[in-house]
Amino acid sequence: MAVTKEEKYPSPKRFDIADIQVSRESTAVKPKIVANMIKRAKRPLLITGGQLLKDEKLVDFAVKFAEKGIPIAATAGSSRPLIERGVRPISKTYTLHQITQFLQDEEFQGFDGQGNYDTVIFLGFLPYYLSRMLSSLKHFTKITTIAIDEFYQPHAKFSFTNLTKDRELYHSMLEEVLQNL
Amino acid sequence: MFELKKGAFVLDELKNVSIRIGRVVEEEEEEWEEAGPTPKPGILELRKWDHTLLERYEPFYAPMQDFCNLCTMGPCDLSMNKKGACGIDLKTQKARLVTIACCVGASAHTAHARHLVDHLIEEYGEDLPIDLGPDVNVEAPVMRTVVGIKPKTLGDLREALSWAEKEIVKVLHSVHIGNEESYIDYESKALHVSMADHVGMEVADIAQIVAYNFPKAEPNTPLVDTGFGIVDRSKPTIVVVGHNVMYARPISDYLEEQGRIDDFEVAGLCCTAHDMTRYNQKAKIFGPIYYQLRVIRAGLADIVVSDEQCIRADLLDACKKAGVPLIATSDAAARGLPDVSDWPVEKIVDALVSGKLPGVFLPVPEKVGQVAPLVAEAVFRKHGGERKYRFFEDDSAFREEIEKCTQCMNCVFTCPHSLRVDQGMAHAQKTGDVSKLAKLEEICIACGKCEQVCPKNIKIINVIMRANYDNLYNKTGKTRVGRGPIQDTEIRKVGQPIVFGQIPGVIAAVGCINYPDEMKSIVEILEEFLKRRYIVVTSGCHAMDIGMIKDEEGRTLYEKYPGNFDAGGLVNVGSCVSNAHISGATIKIANIFAMRPLRGNYAEIADYVLNRVGAVGFSWGPYSHKAASIATGFNRLGVPVVVGPHGTKYRRAYIGKPWKKDRWWVYDIKTRQKVFIEPAPDSLLVAVETKEEAIVQLARLCIRPNDTSAGRQIKLTHYIELHQKYYGDLPDDWHLYVRSEADLPLKQREELLKILEEQYGWKIDWEKKKIVEGPIRHYDAGFNPTIVEEVYEKYTRG
Repeated sequence: MAVTKEEKYPSPKRFDIADIQVSRESTAVKPKIVANMIKRAKRPLLITGGQLLKDEKLVDFAVKFAEKGIPIAATAGSSRPLIERGVRPISKTYTLHQITQFLQDEEFQGFDGQGNYDTVIFLGFLPYYLSRMLSSLKHFTKITTIAIDEFYQPHAKFSFTNLTKDRELYHSMLEEVLQNL
Repeated sequence: MFELKKGAFVLDELKNVSIRIGRVVEEEEEEWEEAGPTPKPGILELRKWDHTLLERYEPFYAPMQDFCNLCTMGPCDLSMNKKGACGIDLKTQKARLVTIACCVGASAHTAHARHLVDHLIEEYGEDLPIDLGPDVNVEAPVMRTVVGIKPKTLGDLREALSWAEKEIVKVLHSVHIGNEESYIDYESKALHVSMADHVGMEVADIAQIVAYNFPKAEPNTPLVDTGFGIVDRSKPTIVVVGHNVMYARPISDYLEEQGRIDDFEVAGLCCTAHDMTRYNQKAKIFGPIYYQLRVIRAGLADIVVSDEQCIRADLLDACKKAGVPLIATSDAAARGLPDVSDWPVEKIVDALVSGKLPGVFLPVPEKVGQVAPLVAEAVFRKHGGERKYRFFEDDSAFREEIEKCTQCMNCVFTCPHSLRVDQGMAHAQKTGDVSKLAKLEEICIACGKCEQVCPKNIKIINVIMRANYDNLYNKTGKTRVGRGPIQDTEIRKVGQPIVFGQIPGVIAAVGCINYPDEMKSIVEILEEFLKRRYIVVTSGCHAMDIGMIKDEEGRTLYEKYPGNFDAGGLVNVGSCVSNAHISGATIKIANIFAMRPLRGNYAEIADYVLNRVGAVGFSWGPYSHKAASIATGFNRLGVPVVVGPHGTKYRRAYIGKPWKKDRWWVYDIKTRQKVFIEPAPDSLLVAVETKEEAIVQLARLCIRPNDTSAGRQIKLTHYIELHQKYYGDLPDDWHLYVRSEADLPLKQREELLKILEEQYGWKIDWEKKKIVEGPIRHYDAGFNPTIVEEVYEKYTRG
């Protein structure tokens, strides 16, 4: 169920008010829905970004995703704090830009050679950088993209609402995703 | 024998017939080198090279918007690859937009070059020799390779310019509705026009070096003052902004003639600043483009002189609000101002000083030279050294401004960097501490978008600048004056170590300042490579910012590292147009070290660079169209470019797929076989998110197929060390670059051999500690790679 008028969640306001030139906006979703989509996915992948180097909380959540068995492709140096916490990312070297290119290729067999990913979750990115990658995936793949950063991402298929004002709510939503996985 | 000379002829026998001879081709010029296959190439001549590159480095598109609004048939929804009313699909439309952007960039440099060359020929004559110093015999490597000419005089530059102008128009034509159907062919055109951009840049910089006597390939150019705190505020201050020094230079001349240069401050913003210091080292560098609002609002200027490119579109408005008169000089940016070219100097000065006119358009360099100092002095006298505008009148006005904030976050949602202005304001309101706001100053690009959306009309830029007042006002540094080209002798010295890999790479940090992080990150990134004895080359705004950051001992990188083109050197070539000396240096390596012919021989040279020269471009804060075409021009030359995260807004990248083994091949001229190789480099244009990622990717992309074992070992050592340092583990792809045990880092050899055996199933002879089986290919000292069929045929013939 998409986020609509429920008081708890803010409306899906964009982090960048000029990032509006979209024909199909992302569906703002609640944490339980995110968890269900990940559970239903045949080949989920969590991609972590450089903001993990600045926000310890994001590392905590990524570690918990790994503990739930979600493979992690770490970008921008986010592998380092994860490795220090005992997580082995399946990809460390490639940038989000490169991984996005790989995901668009029907011949890409994933980082483990087992096939391409059908659901990709994004955590810990600069919003404007992630926005462009989501736009690329939207137009040129059928992959389900889920943005679980604190920013509403209009180019994702599914996204959290804009939670920049209330980080506690944002963290509780990530926690809720994990509890329902 | 009748000898042809330039000029008009009347033939006696034929009445009313005259013949005009334009350029006489001299025999000597014809013979300087045998012409290659593509002198003055049109769109098609290098298309095959482009398609070879683009098959491996597939274009990647990240649309900014789902629609096309370029014509009157639309607007059209192109989302999920629908077609528009004209039939275009999304990828092709994005490739078309990139082509347009590259045309804009190439036009900017080429028009700048045309403007300069025509003006300088008028001033110095077309026979002014091109002399770039005793150590520069390959004077115009880009022109030689692309256009096929070896210019000897200022007048000769026109031939290269005419070629570039023609190609830009042709490519721009192709973006009209109803032309190109293939995004690959649009990319080929973007590559073509961007190659022309490097020609335009080379023409512009050579012209100004020889005419204005800028430093000629001198490694140890002087250090000049850089930063916000450089000017003596007790003197009238003239601020020049833009890219074409043609208009700012007469200011310096006039003041020198009058013996009054020391009575004034002449400081520049953006590349005009670089070129002013190349002309006269008494000039100073305020900073890059994003210092415009800072400088104007701070009240540091008594007059602003603008020329062209990278100037705020609301400069007149900003100057008006600060009570600073403006002189616009370039026909590319007349700014709606009245043309006062025919007015006497006194009348122009009076109009500006009295405020009758807030600004004037004065495209006459000599008059600008007189008017600017007279106005600056009169304005300075008027305010008696107490400049009108300094962010806020006093502390209470500053506090009142902060109190207005309601944390609505409109500013955050419009800021290119999503800066948390709201948090800084709230913290200041609660505690009186403005340190959170002060921290934003280092990341803020002072674009001013936040102020437009603030419902309380808070002067947010001023608040941020005022919060960091002391640091900002005291910011001073040193930038090494742009040196222009690299000497042939320097190339001779480093050519072999670069090609064989003993010098692990050349990192060229160029372009704008839209950094994702604090300004000091550019210094942190580059110092990592300087310490590791890479060659670091820089220009433009990146070069300025490097000069503003000091270490704990108060030294900038320019003071810590020498300016020569050698391992561990930090080379500032100069302004944006000086970037041609960086592409020129890579070309000169192929020519001077490897004796490859340049004349009209682009594909062979680019192929050489791609396979052998470990140079990587780096634009940590890209934003302009010029930066787009500069980068794309490097790409066609076989030089990969790493951009910061804002670079994704170019919408296009060139990213190869290392796992597609059939894409990574070369013809080996020695063995006459097609050989599958490691993916080196695996991207031509790729964006990174963090400084850590920038460092690792730059080291990674320096690896080339032709590296010797010693070179590969050095490059792999740095790549693996940096990956472990910043990513916490070995790279995912390190094994792809190992051809024999000699390629492995010495310190980790045994450990890595074990991993190759256990994780990758390679066979190791442990007695000899040798790799027996596993690598993509084995190393051969005579390996001679090319991906160009014609080059392969040329060198295997006979």
